[in-house]
Amino acid sequence: MPGPLHGVRVLDLSRVLAGPWCVQNLGDLGADVIKVERPGAGDDSRQWGPPFLKDAQGRDTSESAYYLSANRNKRSVAIDVSTPDGQALIRRLAEHSDIFIENYKVGGMAKFGLDAGPIRLHNPRIIYCSITGFGQDGPFAERPGYDYLFQGLGGLMSVTGERDDRPGGGPQRVGVPIVDLFTGMYATIAILAALHHRDLTGDGQTIDVSLFDAVMALSSGQLSHYWCGLTPKRTGNASYAIAPYGVYPCADGQMIVASANQSQFVALCKVIGKPEWSSDPRFVNNAARMSNYDALYESLSSVFRSKTRVEWEAILFKAGVPAGPINDYAQAVAHPQAAHRGTRVELEHTLGVRAPGVASPMRFSTTPVEYRRAPPVCGQHTREVLSELLAMPDAEIARLEADKVIAT
Amino acid sequence: MAGPLSHIRVLDLSRVLAAPWTGQNLADLGAEVIKIERPQKGDDSRAFGPPWLKDASGAETGESAYFACANRGKKSVTINLSSPEGQRIVRELAAQSDVLLENYKFGDLARYGLGYEDLKKVNPRLIYCSVTGFGQTGPYRDRPGYDFMIQGMGGLMSITGERDELPGGGPQKAGIPIADIMTGMYATIAVCAALAHRAETGAGQHLDLALLDSQVAVLANQGANYLATGVAPPRLGNAHPNIVPYQTFKTADGDVILACGNDNLFRKFCDVGSCQHLATDPRFATNGKRVENRAELTALLNEIFLRRSTRDWVAALEAAGVPNGPINSLEQVFQEPQAVARGLRIEMQHPLAGSISLIRSPMRFSETPIEHTVPPPLLGQHTEEILRSMLGRSDEDIAKLRSDGAI
Repeated sequence: MPGPLHGVRVLDLSRVLAGPWCVQNLGDLGADVIKVERPGAGDDSRQWGPPFLKDAQGRDTSESAYYLSANRNKRSVAIDVSTPDGQALIRRLAEHSDIFIENYKVGGMAKFGLDAGPIRLHNPRIIYCSITGFGQDGPFAERPGYDYLFQGLGGLMSVTGERDDRPGGGPQRVGVPIVDLFTGMYATIAILAALHHRDLTGDGQTIDVSLFDAVMALSSGQLSHYWCGLTPKRTGNASYAIAPYGVYPCADGQMIVASANQSQFVALCKVIGKPEWSSDPRFVNNAARMSNYDALYESLSSVFRSKTRVEWEAILFKAGVPAGPINDYAQAVAHPQAAHRGTRVELEHTLGVRAPGVASPMRFSTTPVEYRRAPPVCGQHTREVLSELLAMPDAEIARLEADKVIAT
Repeated sequence: MAGPLSHIRVLDLSRVLAAPWTGQNLADLGAEVIKIERPQKGDDSRAFGPPWLKDASGAETGESAYFACANRGKKSVTINLSSPEGQRIVRELAAQSDVLLENYKFGDLARYGLGYEDLKKVNPRLIYCSVTGFGQTGPYRDRPGYDFMIQGMGGLMSITGERDELPGGGPQKAGIPIADIMTGMYATIAVCAALAHRAETGAGQHLDLALLDSQVAVLANQGANYLATGVAPPRLGNAHPNIVPYQTFKTADGDVILACGNDNLFRKFCDVGSCQHLATDPRFATNGKRVENRAELTALLNEIFLRRSTRDWVAALEAAGVPNGPINSLEQVFQEPQAVARGLRIEMQHPLAGSISLIRSPMRFSETPIEHTVPPPLLGQHTEEILRSMLGRSDEDIAKLRSDGAI
């Protein structure tokens, strides 16, 4: 059965990561996505290598791994939106679309006459979603946004990294552009909710999603603590509230032990052959364990060092205590569960190779996610889309190409 | 105008964070969310304190701050799922709901006659969303999943933290439960998409969301780098592999992020830092050279940044158009003028705590704005209301259910 968004069309004027991530979600769910790119260079992120996708002969292509990560299930149309003819084309395509997405700076689309006002006037059913750094209003609205700056500005780095009193203590950023990704997720949810509203009422609307709002929202738990009088600090890999809940040494490296409640701690002590520890006054409850954190760490470490991580994982699993490895990516995708869940997907790429990507985590019983299209090369579908949606004759396509309005 | 999902009812059997996050998103969007909790104790996360919400006199209530972050906009109904009477009530509620959220371990609800196959029979339109650590299939499906484990197993910690050769180098977890929250986001999207499918076909379905799947999916560009090369990316701390200077520096009173993406921005930075000689120094004139001589340049810049406060640096770099930013504490975050202008801190009236602070949803709609009206509920606050309004139970019925321990 086709995806749940089969029949929905998305006109995508976004670049780099937050917007494309949102649109890839919509494409995964079955929507027809038309990605509009600058003729020639296309989406900035196409250049962000190495690494690049390699062709059948092992040579680098023009397609970066970065770009591949956020652009499957899309068609690419190359149109120069700075030209009046290009703007007219976008307006016509918008009349045939359900969703319009852009991540230009505030006012950028208005300069081209492609802001929400005129687009929604031509198509009152359209859902127009803008993604920016700081939102459409406020004193910082006109500033650009970069993931890294928001990880710092939004407080996320203040709670990530080793404790200040330990070697190397200090703020760290999360190793993936998490603010861009979350912003893309919020945009996806907002668009789907707005589609519902449209199904009921027939009305489209404008959606304003920003990296700034998103980084705040994802810190909800930490901020809830802060507002109740506890200023969150970096605690490295230890929990600020629960013990033992951290990284421990074992015979062949390190492992995570995440014992979240008292019954798990009692079971843990039993299964490691130290049942007396759970009644030791230093460890008798969570508050005592937090007060005697170092003693607990040393005691557990002395036992954990005697066996390998895999051995402990099996032993602790039987006791109902969660434990696991710190994998690198090679190990993460080699995990038996990753193999079973089909984490790596491969798509036939137009350059004659198979482009690898990560499966969507959305698993539907009736409408499974389909991987229909590899990330397109720039302008791969210009001709196809203009003739299919706008019934444009070949001669006009040739004229637009000669005028450098489009590229095919 | 009411939220875009105001015609949708959600039966939320989930606990702690990932799936409650989904329920809160749906509630923010206008859905009626009925949270089913264990009598007496309720959601485990109600006990995840301190800190606790404080009442008007500053005394601690029994409501944790943790619970407050993922449960606004919901009604709380207490039902004992291990009692046959309780199971019957949940089946009746499911018959009148559009969406069911649950994050029990694989098979637990089926044992209560509340699995997807059971509830599909009473409501074929139901969208039944299961959230687990590892999914409904595969060799690990019986295992519980915790955010921390998944951050480790799913590779995120391998690329977060200082470089191994620097002091304190080693894997770190993200400071917030990213795997839980991201799974909650994917579940929200899947539910909304399944609602779209149901609008077309009338058919509900079963959704299978896993923490491991979700965490691996957001490896995004780093995941793609790995899949393209077969080489697992290392930790880089706060530095960038191919751009210098693109990192954090210590200032006189804190830290600042400097992001010079090209040579022109580096020259502008040198003007601001009164170190123009560095911009013309052949060792640092181009990005390629700066990457080669990263250690020398970083040592020089470390000294320069220590001379001024974070606030001074941010103001001067901003004026010169050099991308930069502070590393705010959560206290500083809400003093940012933009945070104030966007109204990111919202206040809600709470039955025990008086006014409580929460964070605004980042989804802004022109026609159906999100309204934050219902605070995180007390345990069982809405049990009687729901049993009366949805199931037509009488006072007598309710008294009996209570004395039987079913609610």
